[in-house]
Order: sequence, then C-alpha cells, then structure tokens
Amino acid sequence: METALELSGITKRFGSHVAVNNLSLAIPKGSIYGFLGPNGAGKTTTIRMIMSILYPDEGQIQILGHANSEEIKDRLGYLPEEKGLYKKMKTADIVAYFGTLKGLPLREARKRAKELLVQYGLGDWVNRKCEALSKGMGQKVQILSTLIHNPELVILDEPFSGLDPVNVEVMRNLILSMKRDGRTVIFSTHVMEQAEQICDYIFLIHKGNKILDGPLSEIKAGGLHGIQIDYDGDGQVIRDFPGVDRINDAGKSAEVYLKDSANPQDLLQYLCGRLQIRRFDLREPSLHEIFVRAVGGTSDE
Amino acid sequence: MNKTILVALREFVENLSTKTFWIGIFIFPIILVASVVVPTLLEKSKRARTFAVMDHSGWLHDEVMQLAMQRDLNSVLLEAVEAHKNGHPMPSSFPSGVAPFLEKVTHENAHELASAIAFEADTSLIESDAAKLLSDWWRNLSEDQARTYDSWLMAAHYRITDTYGDDVASLNEAIDAETLFAYITIQAEPLDTDPAMTYVCNNFTDESLKHWYGNLVNDVVRRKRVDRYQIDPAIARLLTTPVRMEARKITAEGQEAHVETKDTLHQWVPIAFVYLLWISVFSISQMLLTNTVEEKSNRIIEVLLSSVSPLQLMSGKILGIAATGLTIILSWILFFFFALKALPFMMGMPLSFDLSFIMSDFRYLGSFVAYFMFGYFFYAALLVGMGSVCNSLKEAQNLMTPVILILLVPMFAMVPVGQDPNGTLAKVLSFFPPFTPFIMMNRAAGPPALWEYVATTVLMLVAIAFVFWASAKVFRIGILLTGKPPKMTEVLRWLRAPVGTVPERKRP
Repeated sequence: METALELSGITKRFGSHVAVNNLSLAIPKGSIYGFLGPNGAGKTTTIRMIMSILYPDEGQIQILGHANSEEIKDRLGYLPEEKGLYKKMKTADIVAYFGTLKGLPLREARKRAKELLVQYGLGDWVNRKCEALSKGMGQKVQILSTLIHNPELVILDEPFSGLDPVNVEVMRNLILSMKRDGRTVIFSTHVMEQAEQICDYIFLIHKGNKILDGPLSEIKAGGLHGIQIDYDGDGQVIRDFPGVDRINDAGKSAEVYLKDSANPQDLLQYLCGRLQIRRFDLREPSLHEIFVRAVGGTSDE
Repeated sequence: MNKTILVALREFVENLSTKTFWIGIFIFPIILVASVVVPTLLEKSKRARTFAVMDHSGWLHDEVMQLAMQRDLNSVLLEAVEAHKNGHPMPSSFPSGVAPFLEKVTHENAHELASAIAFEADTSLIESDAAKLLSDWWRNLSEDQARTYDSWLMAAHYRITDTYGDDVASLNEAIDAETLFAYITIQAEPLDTDPAMTYVCNNFTDESLKHWYGNLVNDVVRRKRVDRYQIDPAIARLLTTPVRMEARKITAEGQEAHVETKDTLHQWVPIAFVYLLWISVFSISQMLLTNTVEEKSNRIIEVLLSSVSPLQLMSGKILGIAATGLTIILSWILFFFFALKALPFMMGMPLSFDLSFIMSDFRYLGSFVAYFMFGYFFYAALLVGMGSVCNSLKEAQNLMTPVILILLVPMFAMVPVGQDPNGTLAKVLSFFPPFTPFIMMNRAAGPPALWEYVATTVLMLVAIAFVFWASAKVFRIGILLTGKPPKMTEVLRWLRAPVGTVPERKRP
C-alpha cells in the first residue's frame, strides 16, 4: 500500500501544554481519512504541522514522498477551519487568485475558476463580490479555491461545520468525487456520524494522544454489538431495564449496550407495552460509542 | 510568477478600488487648492465696510480723501499703462476719454500725475478734461466696479457715509444695529491733540479700516507738522526714514550676494515636505496595519499560508501597499508640478515669486521620494508586525499610541531643525532611524554633509532590515493567534525563539 502521508512520532508543545503527543500515522493514497476527536483534541494542530504552518518539536513528516511540505505546497489543497474570503473580490477572481498562488498561469486559473463555479452551481455569481454570498455559497467558493489546482492531497479542517443539510450533501459528494479522481482526502470533524458515512480510515485523537487508527470497517467489527431502538414515549423506561450497561439516548432513538449476561430478546419483551417501539435493531457499534469506550468517559456527554 | 509579487499585485489592484485610495489621491490637491482659493473667495465675498467720519477740524478728512485718491489713481494708472502696453483691455468702467493721454504716462511720472489730479495741482502732464474725468471716475466708482480692477481700490473695501451727520447718538445706535461698521471722530486741533482721533467699532478682529485710515492720517499730519515748523522736506524725509539693513549671503562660489525671497523659501520648503512626508508615511503605513488586521479578522490568513510562506505574505503586502502609496505620492507630485505653474498667479503674486525651483532641485523631490520609501518600509514593517497580533482595529489603535508618540518627535523638532539644519539637535536626531527620514528631509536646505547622507542611509537600511526580521518572526506567530494581544515581554520572547516554535503564553 502506497502512503500519501506518514507521520512518525510527532510531538508539538505550546509551552508546557502538549497539544500532540508522539503521534504516528500512515495515510494510504487514494483514501478518505477522517481525523476524529472532540474540540481541542489536537486535530487542527496536527493538520497545521502537516501543512508546515507549525513545525513539530519532535518527529518527522513524510508527505507525498517529501520531508518538507514547503517544497510541494502546490500539490496540496488545504481548507482551514477558520476560513474567509476577501469580501470585496469577485468570486471568480478570488478562486483564480488562489490558483495562481498554487502556481497556475493566470489565464488558465481564470478559465478553471469560471468552469468550477459554473459546475458547482455558482454560475450566476461569477462576477459578484464575495460579500454578497450566503454562508453555504461562501464555503463552496472556499473549497473550490482549494481544489482549483487539482491537488493530489486535500486536507479539509472541519469542512461540514456551519453547513445546512443540502450543503453537507454537496460537500460529501465533493469529497467522494475527489476520491474517485484518485486524490487522497483528509478531513477532520468532531461529529462522528459524518465520518462514519464516508471514511475509509479513521484516526481518533483525544487530548493530544492517539486513541486508535485504522480502516473503519475493522474498527467497527470489534465484536461489540449495540441495539438501535427508535421509540416514542419516555426513554427512562429503557434505563430501568436491569441488564442495560450503557445507553446513548437521543430522545427519540437510543443506542443501548447490554451487560454480557443480558439478552436482547428480554429487553424487547420488557419494552413491549411500556414504549411505542418503531425499530429494534441489532448492529455494529457507532463511532461515538467506540470513542467513548476508548477514552473511558461517560456515555452522554 | 513569484508569490510575493502575486500577493503584492492583488493588494495593489484591490486598493485601487477602495475609497481610502481615492481619498488619498484627492485630499492633498483639495486641501492645497482650498487653502489658496477659500481665503481669496472669503476676501472677495467680504462686502465693503461702511464708515462715517465726524471731522471737527474741518480739513483733515478732506485731505485724507485726497491722499486716498492719489494712491488709488497711482496704482490704477500703472495698471492702465501696463494693460495699454500689452494691448489688454481695462475694465469697462475706466473712462475711455483718457486713453490718448495714457501714451504719455510712464512708471516714473504716474505718481506725479496722480498727485496732480488728486490735489488739483497745475501740471503740464495732463489736460484738465482728462484730469476731471479721472477724479470724477474715482469719486463715483461703485464697489462692484472697483472689484474688477487688479489694483487695491478704496471703493472695493470701504464706503463712507454721511447719513448720520454729527449725531453721536444715532451713530452709536447704527453701530449697535450693525448698519454702520465704524465711525471716526477727528478732534478740532488734530496736530496738537493726543489722541487726535477716536475710532468706534465693535469688530475687534478686522482692523484693516483702522490701519488704512490711520496710515493716511499719519501721512497728512506729518506733512502738516513739517510745514508748520518750516522744516526742509528733504530733512524731514531723512529724519523719518528707517535705517535699512541689507541681507547678504555667501554663495557656493564664495561671492557675496543679495538674499532673495527664493533663498528664504529654500530654507522653509523642506518643512512643507516634512509635513507631506509625515502625513504620507503615517497614513500609508497605517493603511497596511488596518489591512492586516482586517485580513486576520476575515480568517483568510490561514488559507493564504497554505500557499505562501508568512515571509512572502508579509513582504507581498508591504510591497503592494508601497505601490499604492507611491501612486498616491506621484499623483501629488504631478499635481504639485502643475499647481506651481498656476499657484503664484492664483495667489496674485508677482511672477518673480517663482516656486518651480522646488521641482527642479533634486535635494527636495529626490529626498522626498527616497525618504518616503525609507520611512514607509520602516514603519510599514513595524506596523504589519503589530497588526498581526491584533484581532480588532480597536486593539490595533491602542498599540499605535507609542508609535504616534515616536512620530511626534520629528514634528516637534521641525521648526528648530529647519532654523538650524546643521545644528547639534538636527545632527543627533538624524542618526535615530525612526526619525532619520523626517529629520534628513527637514535638513535638505542645509544641506547635510555627504558623509551624513551616507551614514544615516546605512543606519536606516540596517534598521529596516532589523525591523523586517523582527516583524517577520512576530508575524509568523501572531498571524494565527487569537485572543488577547501579547504583552511586549511576550513578543520579545518570540523574537528569541527559533522559527516555527511558539513559546508559552503567560496566563494571568
């Protein structure tokens, strides 16, 4: 397996605070790789080190076969978490500007900027200023700016934050189409469900330490099973069942983990008459559950 | 294309469409034109002051008016001769009947002629018809007509009235009601009384009438006193003539020469340039500060940093705004160049008042452009570093205060340095890089010795390099920082830290 990016034992300290601790990762070419973890876990710091915006205090980064990303900046695409646009610039101009900064000739950058904007439904906005864009459209312009030069490796820091469901869909399709084009995509998120849907590989980080990493399918197939219950009524009833070990209750649906001794059939029988059950489903654990178990925290955070 | 140039180019193009840029382009010409035109317009719009005279002597006022007529006629005759010579027409109110005799008027005899007409003396210079025409013309000249002449004429400024007669009560009432500007009372024996006159007026700032009338009275009374004691007029003139002192200078060739207006101007022109330099360095580097803070609060910095290095970004911004600033400055110089052709004319100054030497003298324009670049690069690098640690304009303004205090030093030193361009103060201040551009510009009239130019320039370049280096380090850390701006001590720690590492932030 060819790796696009390899981190070996990188550590980053801000004074006495260790933001990333002895992290090693291998990211296969052509995969969608999710960096997961709660806010402040060290995702952004890791990404900034990959982009050479920060330098690691210890360890090495091998990116597209180079030790220093400065040399191959033009082959990378990066969408930071904190992102903005020049408000007074026209959308086509700003996309083209980022293209030229990545080494595209001006003429080609202009042409591609227009094509991309039209392709992603912003054709009417080509000559409008960025300040006129809605948040979702702005986000689209930003991501097009990161893609205009056809980067081999794309790093997206929290690409879904602040997007409505329609734009989440657009973003997801974009990531999938990048994979189809053979690009490697790394994205970070603190929303586990989003990662579950599209990632080939995930990496879980908590307080600067790696919790686990690997193919999503392997991680999920760890032998643990949960019960997905969709219901109407008072969820407290489920908690009252003596065999319940942990529960992630969202109000209308809950993910329940039983003690080894308990039987799911007993739970179903117990709930009949007490709750209006719409679905009762035995399945693989959610990433949320895996994460919570790995860091040893409480269920409902 | 080089990424620094790309950043600079975008910055420049973007600035061309901002309001700040166009205000920058036009503010200086507008201020310059306004400072010339507005006072002239105000002067023109000022209506003639009406005043009354109560003459208890019975003769003084009449003689004052004769003298006023003589002076007005003298200047109007010279104007007419000049116009006649150049084939220009005189204002239409000027009596056409005198045209044939204007041939005989010269600069030398105009004064004699005017006296003859005003004092109704016998002369062979003018026929009585023409003389009568001119004195009638002067007496009946309206205010609006008077304003059409280039010469200063009494009718354009003061109008005498006898509506109130010698009734003090109604005169006072008129002053109170502002229908009368002032009235003058002349004592019965003005030659022997002190004070000989009173001047009643409620406007204490515009004293031109008082001075004009007083001046005329002075001349008349002095002449009367000379007559009374039968003093030889030549002796009287000698007694009253002030001693003249002629200012001379030593030229570069070691010759003694007259000091001309031009020389005095040479001494003061640098001060005007220092002002301009100060305003442009300050406002244009502040433009960069604002721009950096905005870019930071726009959250666009990190996207940029994935494509360009912090140093490229910083130098690109500095260069882009330098280009903007230079465009503004060049537009000013261009305007100045054309204004200098028109300015003396607009201010009604004689053509000998030539300011064009300012444009041709490299000491001024050359140093101005060079010191603008020095000053700009120094302060721009300083401010861009400062801007990188601020999250809002308000924070940036707080940080600006010490910089403004530093910048005030050359402002306060401006006049002392202008008076003594090679003095100790000037020399010492020249060697402080934050002041160098302003002080050296200020000293241009000196001019400083060549070695001083060389030494201060070397020092300035070293300082610019240092500020660039320091700012680049601060920029690299500060630009991604959010939250409270760092303390000075913290920034100093950043300077010592190796590139790419972030020293610990002290928490309160």
